Order: sequence, then structure tokens, then C-alpha cells
Amino acid sequence: MTESNEAADPGLVWTGPKRFRVRTAAYVDPVVFAREMKRVFESNWVFVAHESEISEPGNYKTSHIGLQPVIISRDDDRQIHVLLNRCVHRGAAVCREQRGSANLFRCPYHGWMYGNDGKLVGMSLAGGDAGYDSDFDRPEGLVRVPRVESYRGMVFASLNPDVKPLVEYLGRAAWIIDNKLDASPVGQIQLRSKPIVARYPGNWKFQAENIVDGYHFSFVHEGFTHLQRQYQDATGDFGVHAGNDSPADVRRVRSRGRNYGTPNGHGLTARPVADLVPWLEGKHGAYYRELLDAYGEERLKMIAGRSTASIFPNLGLIHHQIRVWRPLSANLTEVTVYPYDLVGVDEEINRGWLRSQERFYGAAGYGQPDDTEVFAVNQQGLSATAVDWLILERGLHAERDEGGGDWSGQPGGEVPQRSFWLEWMRRMESQEEQS
Amino acid sequence: MTNLVFGRRQAEALVYREARLLDDLELDEWLTLFTDDGIYWVPIDENAPVDESVSIIYDWPLRREERVRHLLDIPFPAQSPRSRTMHLVSNVESVKQESGEYLVRTNQIIHEIRVGDFSQVGLGVVNVLAGQVHYTVRIVNGNPLIAMKKVLLLNREMPQGNLTFML
Repeated sequence: MTESNEAADPGLVWTGPKRFRVRTAAYVDPVVFAREMKRVFESNWVFVAHESEISEPGNYKTSHIGLQPVIISRDDDRQIHVLLNRCVHRGAAVCREQRGSANLFRCPYHGWMYGNDGKLVGMSLAGGDAGYDSDFDRPEGLVRVPRVESYRGMVFASLNPDVKPLVEYLGRAAWIIDNKLDASPVGQIQLRSKPIVARYPGNWKFQAENIVDGYHFSFVHEGFTHLQRQYQDATGDFGVHAGNDSPADVRRVRSRGRNYGTPNGHGLTARPVADLVPWLEGKHGAYYRELLDAYGEERLKMIAGRSTASIFPNLGLIHHQIRVWRPLSANLTEVTVYPYDLVGVDEEINRGWLRSQERFYGAAGYGQPDDTEVFAVNQQGLSATAVDWLILERGLHAERDEGGGDWSGQPGGEVPQRSFWLEWMRRMESQEEQS
Repeated sequence: MTNLVFGRRQAEALVYREARLLDDLELDEWLTLFTDDGIYWVPIDENAPVDESVSIIYDWPLRREERVRHLLDIPFPAQSPRSRTMHLVSNVESVKQESGEYLVRTNQIIHEIRVGDFSQVGLGVVNVLAGQVHYTVRIVNGNPLIAMKKVLLLNREMPQGNLTFML
């Protein structure tokens, strides 16, 4: 095999001068998968909800931290709790709905009851000779995920009590979140639509890599660019792919701006617009002029531009959506796209973004099904495990140090993917438990 | 509006023909089954206002045309190789509405397969979709045309695979 000439086994990620390669096993090996659930998901911050999904007291939704099922609930005092969805008695799931509103979670097996703050409020038939002794070690309630923090309404949770503060963890990724959310003149989003949910027979890391991959667009979405040239905005693109009018235009648009890698594994693409005039004087000029008043010219160039983020390990931001990827096994992944509304803008604008996302990201759409198809094709290709390595060396020679541990490169290069893999490797190969 | 009675037998003729056109990929002819303002809708949440909730498909006339051009004229990964489908239509009822249009309710089972190297992930497997398909039929110059095709998949708010074929 190719590494037979190497002095030492480089492990799962092979780095060096002019070298950045990832071993096939990182995507296909169930042993690697089990380890990354512990090291990458359960020891780390993971996105679990947006506050608008549980806006009222008693609201809840279910989600996951890696493979661990959790309930995110808002109690009667509006506090948010993240709780393991498992009765502490004999283990049954206490909540079977995806979202809803409840004062109590009642275990279907023996009727133990928990408040919407997770506290155990009732044990059925507790007394008597068949019940519990007077000094029974009574659990407090559903097991609580120890760390829960929000950034601008985005709720993250961690099973590791020692994780660093969320805002420190996000680092430069918070800048992309700010740019996305400040497309609302009051800086708020609301999740109103049901989400788009897809599953594909491939590894979760293909999605984490691809959302900040400018290189694939001309190829995976070549058919879409033909369609787009023919129909422009008439079928609801809402200007999202304006300027992608020839193959050369697509390459130019996709290489504009700057890619960033960060020390916590976040990969970012920032694409400020060069000229605000088409926005300020366009059909929705009143909206952009309101943003100009609220945020100023430089910020508006970023807000009106198209930035994307792959926030380690499970959160993506692109278009006007929150995207979450959930690993189910080494070769099965669920992707949930939550189109959001911008608070304080015309309904027409929110409707435009919604129809645009439906057309591209839906299960019968003209974009995301091609991405997930290629992820499956990738997984198929990697069944050729006799080949050791995948190559992630685009733009490695032209990276720029941005200070604070961040570095950057031209979009179309693989800076964001390399930042993902460096953090992944640090967590997977470290001898001590992570924080 | 004429006095044409559009009962179960007439409804069956329309929806059987539609199923055949879809399965044979005679999609330009399929476009002619709709009224000029006809909508092809596959909701995720059929009770939410359509402008507030994303759908699997919400095609106004130009979008229906775009879908047909995409499928027939443009290669793309999710249909390389292409799907074969078989629509089975059952439980047909036709009820006249106060508007003068007819509501045709059907149950449908769609079998879909992508052939090719059947040793590969995703190929060579028959996928089954089931759902109610409701048609709003308007009689225009004596011709029954579809003003709305609404597909209520049983699993509409569940995780979906590749639905880039005609439902």
C-alpha cells in the first residue's frame, strides 16, 4: 500500500509540508465511528435547537448529541433544559413526539412522571412492601446535560461539563452567525416552517465538508446551472444564484471572498458583495436601505453577501437556513434543513427565500439531492479500501495566517476542510478526555 | 362550464392516463393535463399556509415546465442513472364541489427503482411510496383539466431519500 515507504504510520490524518491526506478508514470504519461519537460529539458543544422552536413555556423538541437522544424543553419559568430522553427507572424513552407542549413527561412503562424542567415529580405505587423503602435513593429526575449555552438564540449543549465557554468555542464562526442573523433589521430569526429532512447512505463528514466546498459546485450542480441560465428568477430562485450565467461566471462567483479555518474545527466562507448599489436600488431596496441604517456599509456588504459556515461538528449555515447533520452510523446520515424567517422584514422577502430553498434543497429539488447522491457515491467509492488516502491539498501552498490560530485561503481551496480534519484528529488521537 | 358529468369512470380515465404518462416519461404531454394556472403540490405540512411552510414540491405552471425540462433534457447526479417508476392508482372517487370543480380522491402506490450497477449503494433497490393523491378537476371547454394535484405522502414529514422523479 502507499504508506509502505513511510517511516512511521501517519495515523488517520497525514499532515506535513505540502501534505494533507485523510485515511479511508476515517469515513468507513465502525470502530472509528464509535470513537468519534465519544470524542467528537459527546465531549464537545453540539447544536441542539433554536430558541424560537420552543418559544413558549412547556414547549419541547427532541434532538440528539451524537447518538444520545435528548429533550430540549422550556419550563414554566422559561428556563431551557436539555435532558436525556430516558426514564431513570428502567430506561424507556419518556417523550415520543418530535415537538410539542407538555407540563409533564410520563414514562409509558411504569408511569414515573417528570416535570418540564426534568425533575421527578411522581413515582407510581411507591409505598408498601412491593414499593420502595423509606431510605430509597430517589433520583432527582431525568439526567441533565451538564452544559447548555445559547448564542443569539442558537442553543448548544454538551455532555462534557468542562467544555470552554460557547462564545470562545465559536470564535470567528460567531462572525458568520452575526452576518446571517443581521439580515433581520432587528437581528432575529424565527423557525416557522417544518424542516426538510433527508437521509443518505454515506458518512456524516461528507456533509460537514461539503457545505463550505466551493470546488464541487461547477460539477455536482452543473445541471442546475443550465436550468438556472434558462429560468433565472422566474421559478423562484429569488436572486440567490444571480451571476452564475456561464461556466466562467460560476467559477468567478465561487472563488470570490475568503475561506477561513479556525482552531476549533469550524470552516467558513465569507463572500462580501463588492458593490451595494444593485441591492440598495433593486426591487427590495427599502429593505437593504433599512439594513444600511442599522449596520453601516461594511457590515451590509457582508450581510448581503453569501457566507457559509460548517460549525464543528454538526451545524451548517447557508442561504437562509440552519442545517444540522446527524450521524446514524459510519454510512448513514440524516440532514435537517430548517428554513428560517427573518423577523421584521416583508412577508414577500421571507416567502421568496422559502420558495428558493424549496427549489434547491427539497427532496425533489435541483441541488441537495445531487449533493446527497454524490455523498452516497463517495461512500460507494470508499468501499475500495485497498486505496488508503483521500487528498485535501487544494490551496495548501497559499494559506495565510490570520492570527489567533485562524488561517485563510481562496474559496475553491480546502482550508475549511483542513481545519475540520485537524480538530477531528486532535480529538480522536488525544490520550486524555477532551474539553 | 358545461353539464358534463365527471364521475368515477371519467376520473379513472384521467388519472390512469396521467399515471401512464408519468411512467412512460411522456412529460410534455403530462403538462397538457393541467389548467393554465394548475399547481402540482407535494406538501410536508398540508395544514400550514403554503407561504409559511416549505413543501417537497410546490410547482406553479412555469415550475412544472422547469421540472419537466430538468428531468428530460439535463443530466444530473440524482437521476444518473434515471428512475423507473410504476404508479398504481386505486380507491378513485369523484365529488362535485360548490365551485363546479370536481375533487377526485385516489390512493396511489408508487414503485421506483434506479438500475445500473446493482452492486452499488442506492441502485437496484425497489423503493415504495404510498399516499393519497387528490386532484381538483376543472372542466374547460368540455375538457377535464387538473387545477391542482396534491400528493399527500404517508411519510411526508419524515426523512426522505431521493425524490427527483415524478410522483
